[in-house]
Amino acid sequence: MTKTTFLAGCLAALAAQASMAQAADGILTVATIGEPPTLDAMQTPTDIVLTIDQHIFETLYTYDAQWKSVPLLAAGMPELSADGLTYRIPLRQGVTFHDGSAFDSADVVASLTRWMKVNSKGKQVSEVVDSLSADGPDAVVIKLKSRYAPLLATLSQASIILPSEKIADELTEFVGTGPYALKERRPDQYTQLVRFDGYVSPEGEPSNYAGKRQAIAKEIRFVPVPDANTRVEGLISGQFDFADSLPVSAYDRVEASDKAAPVIFQNQGWTSMNMNMKQGLLTSKELRQAVQLALNPSDMMLAAFSDDRFFSVDGSIFPEGFLWHTASGVTRYGEGDPEGAAKLLEQAGYDGTPLRILTSRQYEFHYKIGEVAKAYLEAAGFKVDLQVVDWATLTTRRADPAQWDIFITHSNFPGDPSTINTITDSYPGWYVSDQKAQAVSTYLASTSDDEKAKAWEGVQSVIYDDAPLFKVGNFNGLSGIAKGIPDYVPTYWPHFWNVTPKE
Amino acid sequence: MNRIVRAMLGRLAGMALVLVIVATVVFVIVRVTPGDPAAVMLGSDATPQDIADLRSRMGLDAPLIVQYGQFMLGLLRGDLGQSIFLGQSVGQALLARAEPTFFLTLFSILIACAIALPVGVLSAVKRGTVFDQIVVTLTMIASSVPSFWLGLMLIQVFAVSMGLFPASGYGGPDSGFFERLQHLVLPAVALGVVNSALITRFTRAAMLDVLGDDYVRTARAKGATERRVVLKHALRNALVPIITVIGLSVAMLVAGAVVTETVFGLPGIGNLVVSAVLRRDYPVIQGTLLVVAAIYVLINFVVDMLYILVDPRVRL
Repeated sequence: MTKTTFLAGCLAALAAQASMAQAADGILTVATIGEPPTLDAMQTPTDIVLTIDQHIFETLYTYDAQWKSVPLLAAGMPELSADGLTYRIPLRQGVTFHDGSAFDSADVVASLTRWMKVNSKGKQVSEVVDSLSADGPDAVVIKLKSRYAPLLATLSQASIILPSEKIADELTEFVGTGPYALKERRPDQYTQLVRFDGYVSPEGEPSNYAGKRQAIAKEIRFVPVPDANTRVEGLISGQFDFADSLPVSAYDRVEASDKAAPVIFQNQGWTSMNMNMKQGLLTSKELRQAVQLALNPSDMMLAAFSDDRFFSVDGSIFPEGFLWHTASGVTRYGEGDPEGAAKLLEQAGYDGTPLRILTSRQYEFHYKIGEVAKAYLEAAGFKVDLQVVDWATLTTRRADPAQWDIFITHSNFPGDPSTINTITDSYPGWYVSDQKAQAVSTYLASTSDDEKAKAWEGVQSVIYDDAPLFKVGNFNGLSGIAKGIPDYVPTYWPHFWNVTPKE
Repeated sequence: MNRIVRAMLGRLAGMALVLVIVATVVFVIVRVTPGDPAAVMLGSDATPQDIADLRSRMGLDAPLIVQYGQFMLGLLRGDLGQSIFLGQSVGQALLARAEPTFFLTLFSILIACAIALPVGVLSAVKRGTVFDQIVVTLTMIASSVPSFWLGLMLIQVFAVSMGLFPASGYGGPDSGFFERLQHLVLPAVALGVVNSALITRFTRAAMLDVLGDDYVRTARAKGATERRVVLKHALRNALVPIITVIGLSVAMLVAGAVVTETVFGLPGIGNLVVSAVLRRDYPVIQGTLLVVAAIYVLINFVVDMLYILVDPRVRL
């Protein structure tokens, strides 16, 4: 090695070290869609809460790139008894909470007990859990009354683990095991997280939320910026390092900017028109099927998202790439057939009672979908009463079966298909049917992925036959990242471990 | 002096009555508006049973009359209640947001007055000239421009293109006082320019009213300089309507900078009201509107008192 080469090598090493040191002092400023209502993800598992919380708290399992549950605070996959009813979950050792206390099975038992009490998915799990207990300090055992296929998926989201002594009905201290600790929350101004130097990461190649986690930035600041245009302007002016949920109309501006780049997250969620099966017009299956037949999902999604880079139309409830993607049972989904729907209306003896559709402008795409749906349904012969309200009003009204026939909503793609809201009997729409119960029961009893995929085909076929909803389409999410941050990987809930701040 | 004290006491009693009425009306409106904080808090996955359970834990299932009684008793103790979402009392939430709103209001009204008073007076003095025509046209345009649109334009030019000011927010954890104030420059200009239009038009009209009066003619006949005639004799007598419109503008800024605060992401009182309404955070909506109403009433009271100081002929 020549002296010049050696010198160049030393200089490069020094520069890299300086760059790392700079990154280690860097701050990531993230513009979010608004202020989280709380940081208690068990109580309020909304996207904005989960986005922030995942940096502070961890769950026993988490989702990898295929949305399969893989260990996070668990040391490995559970040991499952032959009857499929007993799960022994080993826990990682040497993990500490932000307050310095050690993580053990008592924390898991206390946290999951609270989760089963306050969280809507946790409550569903509690109905099948016979017992939850510690098996020494480094393992817990969950005994079920009946097989429950989505158990690991539900233990991968919102079932956060806190120190047992911090557990309370209303959480006042937000202490977790995650790579970042909460330093300060000033509502409507910022939520400040700082690197947790005592963090013990799981091993493995990073994959979605799984694998090695490294807290590179010194701080992450989540800044609520409810106005979408202001998020765009703040991003391209260099004020924010990341801006979440940008309007699709901003894509070209962000792309043209010299300070930021657009990020598209494929298949962020799906939109649906959920029908009221408990009371009113759509208790009639023929009329629900007429609604499905009348609608044209392509036109609805185009109106809602303007550009086909941001949506896809697919009758399968899960998009391509998911284990659960299947064409099984898909029918009355495609071009829109108002004439065919008109015949169904006649057969059902439709008497001209207005079809009440609830939608909200808080999500502009809900409103646009409603407008196009109204045109198609009227073409089929329905009399439509499109009621545009704010989201809080919609969530109240939809709880009362006397007040609506259809409401428009959107959801993400959960880790387990059986946790889709519509499948729950008590979710507004009140989809209760014997064939659904039987298909879901078959699914819940499945243990292997192959069995589950096969059983899910049955569930989807039943959903299409019963017609509790009309799936409109899948949409992609648009966000923006500052240039000079090369290692950001888009995920459904954006995360910022393994992300190097710009110099 | 007795006259002023009596007037003040009368006004204060009226203010108390107004606030009781406001508190009651706000309580009723908030409760009859559809929407439920429990449903908002639990998100779209929540079942009706989950929502009912949380409503019960929050005490929202208590009879309305009981909730009203608790609210009014709290007010008597000076307690505006506890925010459902913020993890702090309504008083603390308001205090935390008072600084941006106070300085935004102050800067906006200073900008508005700095533009409006000289331009309004000059426009009246030079009535019918090209300058006057330009002022009339520009004020008409400025009063028609929505402050949020002007705000977005200012962000585009001064934050995005020139990088002189931050686009939004109110600084981070380590921002000092003056750094925070930098965040207020663009919104203050947006609000100040829009408000200056109204004040300019009122100033011009008030000055035109008095410039033709006998005492102004007399002052000129006595040989007073034009500057003295305009500023001492005419402007002083035109101040009552000008103070009224400035007072109203201040009150509107405290209560009505909602859109501007949202566009600029300022954590002020306007923003607090908007987010509280969207979340149906009943105690925050009630407490904030009550405080805003109190400020509104107080500003009107101060304006009334200023009338007496400015014009001793005024009887309240």
